[in-house]
Amino acid sequence: MFPELSPGPQLLPGPRRSPKADTGALATHQTSIGTGYDLANSIFSPDGRNFQVEYAVKAVENGGTSIGIRCKDGVVLAVEKVITSKLLKQSANKRIATVDRHLGVVYSGMVPDGRHFVDRSRDEARAWRDTFKTPIPTADLASRMGGYMQAYTLYQSVRPFGITAIVGGFDSELEAPVDGEVGNGPSVGAGGKNPDKKYGGPFLYMIEPSGLYWGYYGAATGKGRQAAKAELEKLDLAGTGALTLEEAVKEAARIIYVAHDDSKDKEFELEMSWISGAGGPTKGKHQEVPKALREEAERLAKKSLQDDDDEDEEKKEDDKMEE
Amino acid sequence: MDHRPQAWGRPRDDVYGAYDASYLQTSGPKNATQSPVVTGTSVIALKFKDGVVMAADNLASYGSLARFTDVKRLRVFLDSSVIGFGGDVSDMQYLDRHLNELAIDEAYDNDPSAAPSDGTSPPGTLNAANLHKYLQKLMYKRRNDFDPLWNQLLVAGLDADAKPYLASIDLRGTAFTSPTLATGFGSALAQPIMRRYASTEEQAASRTREEAIEVAKECMKVLYYRDARSLDRYSIAVVTKEGVELKQDELLERQSWAFAERIRGYGTQTV
Amino acid sequence: MFRNNYDNDSVTFSPQGRIFQVEYAAEAVKQGSVVVGIASKTHVVLVAIKRNAEELSSYQKKLFQIDEHVGIAIAGLTSDARVLSNFMKQQCLGHRLTYGRNMPVRSLVDMIGSKAQINTQHYGKRPYGVGLLVAGADENGPHLFEFQPSGMTEEMVAFAIGARSQMARTYLEKNLDAFADCGREELVRHGLKALKESLVQDKELTVENTSVAIVGVAKAKDGTTKMEPFKVFDGQDVNAWIGGAADDKEAAAAEGMDVDDA
Repeated sequence: MFPELSPGPQLLPGPRRSPKADTGALATHQTSIGTGYDLANSIFSPDGRNFQVEYAVKAVENGGTSIGIRCKDGVVLAVEKVITSKLLKQSANKRIATVDRHLGVVYSGMVPDGRHFVDRSRDEARAWRDTFKTPIPTADLASRMGGYMQAYTLYQSVRPFGITAIVGGFDSELEAPVDGEVGNGPSVGAGGKNPDKKYGGPFLYMIEPSGLYWGYYGAATGKGRQAAKAELEKLDLAGTGALTLEEAVKEAARIIYVAHDDSKDKEFELEMSWISGAGGPTKGKHQEVPKALREEAERLAKKSLQDDDDEDEEKKEDDKMEE
Repeated sequence: MDHRPQAWGRPRDDVYGAYDASYLQTSGPKNATQSPVVTGTSVIALKFKDGVVMAADNLASYGSLARFTDVKRLRVFLDSSVIGFGGDVSDMQYLDRHLNELAIDEAYDNDPSAAPSDGTSPPGTLNAANLHKYLQKLMYKRRNDFDPLWNQLLVAGLDADAKPYLASIDLRGTAFTSPTLATGFGSALAQPIMRRYASTEEQAASRTREEAIEVAKECMKVLYYRDARSLDRYSIAVVTKEGVELKQDELLERQSWAFAERIRGYGTQTV
Repeated sequence: MFRNNYDNDSVTFSPQGRIFQVEYAAEAVKQGSVVVGIASKTHVVLVAIKRNAEELSSYQKKLFQIDEHVGIAIAGLTSDARVLSNFMKQQCLGHRLTYGRNMPVRSLVDMIGSKAQINTQHYGKRPYGVGLLVAGADENGPHLFEFQPSGMTEEMVAFAIGARSQMARTYLEKNLDAFADCGREELVRHGLKALKESLVQDKELTVENTSVAIVGVAKAKDGTTKMEPFKVFDGQDVNAWIGGAADDKEAAAAEGMDVDDA
């Protein structure tokens, strides 16, 4: 089936395909197809694009919506899991993964690629613990994984990840124990701390197939990202807005319901996780949102959608009346 | 005097003799740990009908020096098992970090928030028997690498059938279970007392939690008087189906070594 | 030579974000004969149609034991299945050796998922051309997983893969609610009935072409678990089950004949 392939080291570039001489189509800057520049990863087109990365983004845009909310006392992750078959076991197939005690990851796009991303994230978190004897800060995990994703855009021998990942974490605000502490430890703590500065807190990052990542207050990706973003922007997350973690859970559920397109898509299952500080409900750990709270959030989400529909109806009625 | 920079801070050859660099050699046989350095003494543990009691004092000795007096030698694993460490304290720290990572791995697939509400750990999490098997393989591998972790460990918790479980592993990878166990000096001083309490599984299964705690305290008292590397500050853990109850700053009450002042005829005393 | 420019290897995305090589590998699964799996609260069964290359040759096995508590059904390239099966056997043994327990089925399935995903992201590799149904029982009870060449793994209540498997899936969907409380025998009956739906016309279940496998676990009142290890049944051992799975029409026909005779 692959007679032309010779076995060799994995990262050797594959056979190069010369771009077609005719670049007429390219002059319009409209399309990538037919130019030849989109047939292999890591190839720049004359106007500086890597089409294979753009195609990977297309894979993400077909996936179920994922969102993340960073509020003042924690982070919430949520995902819309489209039910592709009735035969799937309900709520058995988790899409949000724990990477370290305080870190969670959710993704949209190609699920096996997401699992690979999670496996690698766990390796990074463990390696960080081995070296620095402390949990990896969320920002550093995002940086490492951003670098990892980016490396898959550099070679013809690999393809980019078909996912956009949202990384949420709560870096401990407490004094970390000195490594190997067997007794009560030094009474002054590890030292080197500025008493006026606030340490730790909730963090949220989103990493794209190109390896690009930013920190967010509210992040959304996947099929319903536009609608979800619009809803996230309505929340006062960046300001002094007092959205609590529990409110954020309810907003997250509502946003996933809003972003879901009833007319086009099949049914879906909502999965949510949250991370609070040491004093909060999850005690600094990344955990699935308890069933009771999730169901309450879903009930409110459905009710809110219902109310919106009723309002629309009323408006239409009113319009008619005016006529 | 040699004033060249490369000689700065070095012992003078004319005073101390030439430096023996033979141990810095990178070729030839390699020496790994040949003896423990900072050590913890006995750990004792005994089963009762619903679980296991384990105790160890809070001392880490440097040779015969009582170096650290607030050392926690009982460690909890996944809120459902307890490991007691005798022997080298730095190897204990290594194992503690290692077990922490193992516990994080476990949490990937077993969400603690999905645990049953009765306090038991979710099905599928590593129990004490699994943990013991794992530590046995780890210790045995290190011994075969000629780089042993210089500890004797006691593992307490529940097995797959939720029955009390207690087992030991030493630096050679030797592993066994017993209704009562002790490491170090405790195996000579505490075991006979504990065997009076329960010498068989059947007897242990008929004992109560209170009885077990009472015997553990009695053993700690004997060890405090008969083991010269011991302390009256100790930790005690009780593992049952409901989880782990760990107290880390207990004091053997009404104990005193004051009588030693009046004892004559030992050591360097001449009178 | 190729259908389009984007289907030569598994490291090229199509402009729609698809990877054709992976999709073609999924087609290889549909070339294999059909296998069905169903899980209840206590058991998982796998049933399969075996094929023989020619009249006088033996039938290709479809169900394999991985460990005491896990087994697989395969559809697609058998030799690829053997690679995965050997890997799974090693993982289960390794886990048993280090922890002294059955490997949790989900961890096992996740591992082959990760393994398969690598093959879809590196040049010079190809996706596995096989789909699996993984049946197993662990401390969390019985499980049934589907594995695809893409590396996708999902836990199912019941599923069917292989040639004409859509018909079997339709049967399973229709009877979905009944499975959870089914006993061992009932589950096999449902499995064989689903299997029959996917048979080509005038082909029948026989002792030669039918395989059944069962694994089970039950929690006793005293908290201990009782395992029924994974076991494959072939030949005369499946005879009674095939008879039991005769559908109502067949049974009626048989009865009708009796009446005529009388």
